[in-house]
Amino acid sequence: MLEPNLSPYAPIVDRPVVRWPNNARVALWVAPNVEYMDFMPAPNDGRGGFFRTVYSRTPAPDVAAFALQDYGNRVCFWRMLEVFDQHKIRCTVSLNEAILEHFAETKEALLKRDYAFMSHGIYNNRFLNLLSIDEERAFFKDCVDSLKRHTGKQLKGMLTPAVSPSANTHNIMAEAGLIYNADWGHDDQPFPMKVETGRLITMPYNLDLNDGTYNRFGCTPEYWAQCVKDQFDVMYEEGAENGKQVCVSLHPSIIGHPSRVKYLDDVLGYMMGHDGVWQTTADDIADYYMENYYDDMVAHLENHDYQS
Amino acid sequence: MPAERKPGYDMPYYNWSPIPTRPRLRWPNGERVALSVILSLDHYQWKPTNDFTNGGMPGSQPEHAYKAPEAPGGVSGGGRPFPDVIGFSVREYGPRVGIFRVLKILDKHGIKPTIAIDALTAENYPYLVRVLKERGCEFMAHGIAANQMITSRMTEEQERDYIRRSIEAVTKATGVRPKGWLGIEFGESERTASILADEGIGYVCDWPNDDQPYHMNTPTGDMYSLPVNLTLVDLRSHWYGRIHVDTYAKMITDSFDVVYREGAETGRLMVLNFQPWLMGTGFRSKHLDRALGHICRHGGIWKASAGEIIDHCRSQAGG
Repeated sequence: MLEPNLSPYAPIVDRPVVRWPNNARVALWVAPNVEYMDFMPAPNDGRGGFFRTVYSRTPAPDVAAFALQDYGNRVCFWRMLEVFDQHKIRCTVSLNEAILEHFAETKEALLKRDYAFMSHGIYNNRFLNLLSIDEERAFFKDCVDSLKRHTGKQLKGMLTPAVSPSANTHNIMAEAGLIYNADWGHDDQPFPMKVETGRLITMPYNLDLNDGTYNRFGCTPEYWAQCVKDQFDVMYEEGAENGKQVCVSLHPSIIGHPSRVKYLDDVLGYMMGHDGVWQTTADDIADYYMENYYDDMVAHLENHDYQS
Repeated sequence: MPAERKPGYDMPYYNWSPIPTRPRLRWPNGERVALSVILSLDHYQWKPTNDFTNGGMPGSQPEHAYKAPEAPGGVSGGGRPFPDVIGFSVREYGPRVGIFRVLKILDKHGIKPTIAIDALTAENYPYLVRVLKERGCEFMAHGIAANQMITSRMTEEQERDYIRRSIEAVTKATGVRPKGWLGIEFGESERTASILADEGIGYVCDWPNDDQPYHMNTPTGDMYSLPVNLTLVDLRSHWYGRIHVDTYAKMITDSFDVVYREGAETGRLMVLNFQPWLMGTGFRSKHLDRALGHICRHGGIWKASAGEIIDHCRSQAGG
C-alpha cells in the first residue's frame, strides 16, 4: 500500500453519490484569506529552509512586501466586503488568528457578518512542517482557544498557514476537535481522512485556481475570472449527477485591488445567478457531510477494496 | 564525450534526416494525420527524493533517484519541505477525479487513449487498471514514480533495474508486456535507448524531435521513436509555463491545422500527452473538449494508439 493512505483511494465514479441540501448541484464556499505576517520574523533557526522566509527579496523587513499585504488589510479588505455584501455572500474566512488581536475593526466586521472562521494558523509566516508534536499540539490549542476567546465560536477546520502541514498535522488537528482539513486539493468533494482519534474530513480548498497563484504567474484578472466561471460551469453540469463543491480562494490585497475588484463582482454575480447553488461555508459543508455521508463513505471503503 | 566536428550527430541513436528529404509516409488509409493521445499516470511519492531543491530525506529513496527541480510542486513550484501536501494532493486529483472526466471527453470524440503508467500506479491502483483495460487501452511503461526520473546519475545496473521494475509492474498489472516507453519527465541517460531495446521495448516517446515516427539505431532490438509534441504537453506549457488555457487550446488547434495541411503531402503525427490531474480539472477540461472538437471535425485523421502507429511503420518498413 502506498504511503500515506491518509485519505484512501475511492474513484469519484464508484462511491456513494453526494446530494446537497435542497438538491443543490453545487456547494459554493468563498474563502478570503485574511492574513498577517510578522514585520520582523524570528531569525531563521534553520529548521524550515527557504520556506520559513516569506520575505525572500531582502533581509527582513521587506517593507514593500509587508506594505502590499497591509494594503490588503487597511483598504482592499473593506472594498472586498462591499462586493460580498452586495451578493449576500456568507464567507468562510481563512484567518490568521493574530488578526483578532491586532485589528479590532476587522474582527468586528467579520463577526457582524456571521462569517465562518476557518483557522489559517496564527501568523502566516509561522509554519507547522517542522514543529515537534508537543509544539504542534500547543499551536492547535492556541488556535482553538484564541477563536473561542475572541468570537465565542468553536473552531471546526483549518487551512494550515501557507499550507505547511507536518506529517502529524491531521492527527493533532482531529485530536484538537477540528472536523475538516482544507490542505488537501485532491477532490471535487470532501472525503474522510484516517486519524488516530476523532473524525476528520478533507475540505478541498482550491490550491490551483487561486487569485494568489494566478497573480504570481502574471495572469490577468479577466483570465482568472474566466477560469473560475469555467470551473463553475463544469461543476454545475456534473453536479446534476453528483453534488460538487466550488471553492473560491481569495486574498484581499489581490482580488480587492482596484484593478481587480470588478472581476470578483463578475464571478460572484455569475455564480449566484444560477439556481441550484448552495452558497454556504466550509463549516456547514463539513457538518452536513459528517451528518449524512461520513459513515457511508467509511462503510464504502470497508466494502470496496481498491488496492487489490 | 564532446562532439567531433564531422557530419551527423555525436550520438548513435538515430540518423540525421531532414523531413523534406524523406519518402512519402502513408498512413493506413491515406489519412493526413495520425492522432494519438497518451495519458500519463504517475504517482507522486509522499516521502521526497534526495533532490536538489530542499527537504530531501536521506535514505527515503535510492541515492540516484532524482526529481526535476521544477516538477510540481503545488502553487510555489519546485517542491516544498516534507510533507508536500499540495504537490501530493493536487496530483492525487488525477486518479480520484480527473481521469474520469478526461475519459468522458475522449469518448465523446471517439479517441481511445494510450496509458503511460508508472510502476507505483500499476501496482497500487488495480481498479483504475481494470477500468482502462476493459476499455481496451494499450499500456506503456512509464518509470517508477513521478519524482524518480532517469538521469545519468544512475549506474548502468541501477538504470537497468529501474527499467525492468517499470516493465514488470505493467506486465503484472495488465497481463501484457508493454511495447512502449515514456520516461518520467522524458528522462534518459546516454544509455537508456539501448537498455530499453535490450529489455524488449519496441518504441520510445522520450525524443520530441519530429512530426513522424522514425527507426532508431540500437545495438540490440528493433526500436522506434514516437515523438510527442512536447510544446503541447500540459505539464510543460500549462503548469510550468502557465500559458492561458484558452491560448493553450488554440495552440493545439493551430498545430493541428498546420500538420493537417502538411499531411496532404506526407503523413504527419499529432501525439498529445496529458496529465489527468492537470487536464482533468474542470476549467481546463472544457478547453480540451473544445480543441479536440475542432480536430475531430476533420476527415482524414487516423485515431490510433501509440503501438498501432509503430506497428504500421514497422509493416511499411517491411518487417
